[in-house]
Amino acid sequence: MEKWRVIDTGLRSAAQNIALNRALLEARQAEEIPSTLRFLRFTPSALLGYHQSAEQELNLDYCRAHGVEVQRRITGGGAIYFDETQIGWELYLHKRDVGTTDMQAIARRICHAAATAISVLGVDARFRPRNDIEVDGRKISGTGGAFDGNALLFQGTLLIDFDVEKMLRVLRIPAEKLSDKAIASARERVANLKELLGRQPDVALVKSYIVEAFESEFGVEFSDGDLTLSEHARYQGALREIETPDWVHLVTRPLSDMPILEAAQKFPGGLLRASVTFDTGTQTIRQVWFTGDIFVSPRRTVADLEAVLRDLPIGRLASRIEEFFARRPVDMLSLTPNDFLTVVRLALKQPLLAHNP
Amino acid sequence: MATVKGCNIPDDLYYNVENNVWARREADGSVTIGMTAYAAALAGQIVSCTPKKVGRSVEQNKSAATVESGKWVGPVKAPVAGEVIAVNAALASSPATINADPYGSGWMVKLKPANWDGDSGGLVTGAAVAAAFEAKMNAEGFAGCQA
Repeated sequence: MEKWRVIDTGLRSAAQNIALNRALLEARQAEEIPSTLRFLRFTPSALLGYHQSAEQELNLDYCRAHGVEVQRRITGGGAIYFDETQIGWELYLHKRDVGTTDMQAIARRICHAAATAISVLGVDARFRPRNDIEVDGRKISGTGGAFDGNALLFQGTLLIDFDVEKMLRVLRIPAEKLSDKAIASARERVANLKELLGRQPDVALVKSYIVEAFESEFGVEFSDGDLTLSEHARYQGALREIETPDWVHLVTRPLSDMPILEAAQKFPGGLLRASVTFDTGTQTIRQVWFTGDIFVSPRRTVADLEAVLRDLPIGRLASRIEEFFARRPVDMLSLTPNDFLTVVRLALKQPLLAHNP
Repeated sequence: MATVKGCNIPDDLYYNVENNVWARREADGSVTIGMTAYAAALAGQIVSCTPKKVGRSVEQNKSAATVESGKWVGPVKAPVAGEVIAVNAALASSPATINADPYGSGWMVKLKPANWDGDSGGLVTGAAVAAAFEAKMNAEGFAGCQA
């Protein structure tokens, strides 16, 4: 059976962890290392997706005041808050390991395997397109990838315990201020293992399940290893580039190009509020949060709707909402799919009123 | 003009087939580069593109731009070495142009080539283009570009 390597690089700064991403991806591309599963942890960090701007995604004043390191990943996706209460897992693979050039299929396959590992702990974890793993509609793991030639890096988080309030302070997300209500509404969208299980999970056991799930998915056997000399050398070079303001600010866009727009309307089915993070440059909805005095069953419907509206060009809003509700039975009393469309459109009409710190 | 498995691969351009990128020598001696229709089809809807900055030098087969689709980030590798003299600023607000018009308005970077004659010798052009891409698509199990 083919042997892959598993390594655990422990608790590190964001710059070190991202330099290791670069180093291991390069080493895999150069065929210097076998395919590898890496576990990692972070000191408190705000991690941007490769193409994101710190000004638009983060509360930089808060990060500075509270020692939260700001860094840029080499992988795609959105900004996340990462600290000691989470673990990271990453696969470094060769394209021949996955047998397809369909990148979405690769992401799906890896996420399904990771969800299987999490489910063994006794929670019902599932892949949610495009790149989350969720438990009953609440996100427990986010993922992203990078590739270079024939080498792939796919990485994910896993929330063991999680400080939702800290996340709300670090990330610029469309929650209505930092009220108890906002925190409660964030808790409806994010889950962690400790809360779901009612006890602190054994992290070593969690890792062993992840190892077994990937062994079974790819038909390989992992053996423990360490960083090689060539990885160390590549790491030093990468760190010199990544631990710099130039890298962190590689992409900068003004805050005013991405306002958070809000609207609320009373419908026969209740009061519905939408907070929309809107990218004016690409005319794309980055993220929507719905709150309000509404009844929706199953409860996860709202989180699922928010997930399908992520990174959506504005012209596809109506059809996306229509398709979403056409595909599932939902009980909303007298609230209608069109009410969701109406309140988002209302929010998008008031760019000049938006002022968000 | 060549069409391979439904993908438009113009035979008057120069290709690094392995890296799935094209180059076009302009009348003023500069070189325009971008992703092929096949590369764009593999990526799916492109949501971001960050080119190297004007004034930077790029080595042959090193990243001249970085694109993101479906949360995957990857490099677009320069078919020839050179200095970046222009970038397609329109892609910042409409990255999907790369999918819609990869050889026209979806161009990414213009280079002042360091050694066109030397570097372009290893690129594929003309009648050999279609067969080279067909072989690549077959090896990678690619079904075809969607209309």
